[in-house]
Amino acid sequence: MPLAHAPTTVPVTVDAAKCIADKGCTVCVDVCPLDVLRISDLTGKAYMKYDECWYCMPCETDCPTGAVSVQIPYLLR
Amino acid sequence: MAVTDPFEEFGDVAELALGLTDPDPAVRRVAVLSLAETADPDAVPHLAGIAADPDAGVRRQVAEALGGFDGPAVASALAGALADPDRDVARAAAESLTELKDPAAGAPLLPFVRHADAFVRAASLRGLRNLRLDTSLGPAVAALGDPEPAVRAEAVGVIAYLKREEALPSLIGSTRDPDADVRRAGVGALAFSRHGHAVDAIADALGDADWSVREIAAEALGRTGPGVRSAALLDALGDSYWQVRQKALRSLGKLKERSAVSAILAALDDERPALRKEAAAALGEIADPAARSGLTAVANDSDPDVRKTARWALEQLSA
Amino acid sequence: MDEIHDATSEIACDVLVIGGGTAGPMAALKAKLRNPKARVVLLEKANVKRSGAIAMGMDGLNNAVIPGYATPEQYTKEITIANDGICDQAPVYKYAERCYEIIQELDRFGIRFQRDGNGDYDVKKVHHLGTYVLPMPNGETVKKALYRQLRKAQVLISNRFMATRLLNSPDGSIAGAVAVNTRSAEFLVIRAKAVILCLGAAGRLGLPQSGYLWGTYENATNSGDGYSMAYHAGAGLANLECYQINPLIKDYNGPACAYVAGPFGAYTANSEGKRFIECDYWSGQMMQEFYNELQSGKGPVFLKLDHLHADTVGEIETILHKVERPSRGRFHENRGTNYRQRMIEMHISEVGFCSGHSASGVFVDEFARTTVPGLYAAGDMANVPHSYMLGAFTNGAIAGEHAIDRAAEIDWPEVSAEDIARERDRVLAPTRREDGIPPNQIEYKTRRFVNDYLQPPKVTAKMEIGQRRFAEIREDLETRMVARDSHELMRALEASSILDCADMAAAASLYRTESRWGLYHNRTDHPDKNDSDWFCHTILRKEAGRMISEKRPITPYIVAIADEERGAYDHQRVRKQA
Repeated sequence: MPLAHAPTTVPVTVDAAKCIADKGCTVCVDVCPLDVLRISDLTGKAYMKYDECWYCMPCETDCPTGAVSVQIPYLLR
Repeated sequence: MAVTDPFEEFGDVAELALGLTDPDPAVRRVAVLSLAETADPDAVPHLAGIAADPDAGVRRQVAEALGGFDGPAVASALAGALADPDRDVARAAAESLTELKDPAAGAPLLPFVRHADAFVRAASLRGLRNLRLDTSLGPAVAALGDPEPAVRAEAVGVIAYLKREEALPSLIGSTRDPDADVRRAGVGALAFSRHGHAVDAIADALGDADWSVREIAAEALGRTGPGVRSAALLDALGDSYWQVRQKALRSLGKLKERSAVSAILAALDDERPALRKEAAAALGEIADPAARSGLTAVANDSDPDVRKTARWALEQLSA
Repeated sequence: MDEIHDATSEIACDVLVIGGGTAGPMAALKAKLRNPKARVVLLEKANVKRSGAIAMGMDGLNNAVIPGYATPEQYTKEITIANDGICDQAPVYKYAERCYEIIQELDRFGIRFQRDGNGDYDVKKVHHLGTYVLPMPNGETVKKALYRQLRKAQVLISNRFMATRLLNSPDGSIAGAVAVNTRSAEFLVIRAKAVILCLGAAGRLGLPQSGYLWGTYENATNSGDGYSMAYHAGAGLANLECYQINPLIKDYNGPACAYVAGPFGAYTANSEGKRFIECDYWSGQMMQEFYNELQSGKGPVFLKLDHLHADTVGEIETILHKVERPSRGRFHENRGTNYRQRMIEMHISEVGFCSGHSASGVFVDEFARTTVPGLYAAGDMANVPHSYMLGAFTNGAIAGEHAIDRAAEIDWPEVSAEDIARERDRVLAPTRREDGIPPNQIEYKTRRFVNDYLQPPKVTAKMEIGQRRFAEIREDLETRMVARDSHELMRALEASSILDCADMAAAASLYRTESRWGLYHNRTDHPDKNDSDWFCHTILRKEAGRMISEKRPITPYIVAIADEERGAYDHQRVRKQA
């Protein structure tokens, strides 16, 4: 399929050492209004799959272990 | 073909609670989250049961989760967590306590008002405040003698929410507390009362050494209704802090204090637009024709907000 | 996750509420509480826990009509004037009468409002405009508190289902909706006796200046799906030419919340640090003044707090950085902007539809009924003007109560299998292509042309070019758009809603051949207000597959507005020039 990729730096990052998604936690994925977070099949940790962020912060605020951080998307910073 | 069930399923409480016994603290934490999400009161005993978990992260999760429930069992578990050696757990418990609404949650909190730890005493008083229970009046009045200012300030809050005339002497006493935060709470608390002694105490507070106490006193006098010590408010128009002058102007307007018109007119020349606006608004509230020429002058003020308030005030004079 | 599954299921309920943000949960809750035996379904394309405009909470109520501080008459009068008279007063009055009861209810749910020393509501005094501001410390817990109530009442919650079209019965009344799962593309048919649309604003209509599709003023999830669905179901949409344009923090694109900072003494200033906004009301006229100042030699425009006491600024910061848009603090931190030392640069937002701040939206009466039997609308997408968050809650409650009563009286309306099959083909078409244009590019192009051709000041010839461009994009969207997974399919469907809204914005703007509401409908080639021809609503709707516009008279006022008061709206501009 002739679709090219446009690289982008993601606003939402997850500290894998703190993330407990591999233990069954889905809080950040559940609370994202734009549904851009997923849990990686490889690592079992949460990550930002789609760069479609309103920098609204529930993922960071609701994360029980403080693993998620939200930065303002670079284009706006 | 199998189709996703379209409705959210929150799982069975007993089954979810099994996760609380897992050796991995992260799994226990996830179990706490799932139990909280059920919003099912049956989850409370399970949550309370692991409030003493060896892992601080789990304990904090429990303290947060209990905030979604109500009742005496929740209050006991949270009050117990207030003395947690981990400050984050204690803070989460204190926050959750403020969510309580069930009056029955008060009884288990009362003994904690005399706890050895000041943080516990203050937080349990804060939890009691919203419940507005008659039974908390006595312990709150006693707590006004607490060595810790934060505890005394919370005790004032409990008494203030009850709005009981018989508690006036205690509240008046608190306006003379050595701590400014307590005095501020005390002055704000008296505003419900029309009793002469209460109003006097508020008026006295206009002479407080701390400007923020004077500010709240100036504002509170506006709520005490007619019979106010307008002379004290007039004096406050000369306060060195503009915040105090602003609240005094507002209160004089609210009380429609005609005798204050000439003093308020002088404030129309204040260098701060916010004060000129407040003065214009107060003159509009009082609606004394004597203010007409002064208001007409500021109807061309350099500040649009002052101009439009002055125009409004002039309309009140004509109405 | 996100793989495409081919499956369809069907459910039936009494009342279907679409949209789990603000109005939706309240509508569902009220419907369920009024008839606990009824099946009430709440459908949400994200998760009700944190969705919609108040995902992160709200810092206060700015239109609280509380006995002793303001009256419904006074409020109705002000809203009428703020909308230049183009307003049916009955829904506004009804809101004003009921909102206090809703405040008390929210309080019982655990949403905390600011209280004075004695525990009474601490309503902020805004002198001559009545008193409507009630701060909400801990406003970030709003959604959680609502969610608990929904769980307790046993409302059926369907998260991750995006509604795509409403179903009409042969007599035209509403018979349900179709939806698609955003994680699996599974298809769901929901038969219902009444449907309440609560899908929020059309916030992804214009493109923010940053060019980032998601950096919108509104929550970017609000893509205007409700306007599009109401339109295709035949409902009338009122005054869409009255756009939403708001003042905001430049680049961050979030509200500056002058109304939060205002009572503390902050204000909007020009580059000289001077106030320039003369208008008394949050209105298009105020936005016109803002726009003029931005374009003038005294621009740009700033939020000024640097004159305030450091403690006061601290207090404002605590509110602004915790609730509604908490990343605001982080934005200023990145740039080293300290409110105490520097003014904050402001700008105006991209255009959108939102009755929360203007007067446009799906036409509703005082029972939240649209012009289609069985279809209700509430919140930012319904045309009760300036309703904000409390309006969404209150009107949502009104809709829920009325809809559940209707449901008790009727049987399930007939649905057409043919309609369902056709919609299924339309929805899944992008997933059946091997190759094509991704939704983000369709969306970007649509929104860029919205900026180029529809943004005020509006020019007839430009809007007509815009319409031609939109038609070209529509051709691409219908024949070439490709979605590789279920998440992209959601974006593809949103792109379709956005394009519908762009078409509606152009058509509505072209129809009203006058200027009105300040910047919102400033037409350079029809610069004057024309009350004799246009003192009316404009209603846009779909008839025989085509977009038509017509006039609708304003319902006679129930709260009289004196002629001189009616002129207050224009008066502001005269003053400015004087």
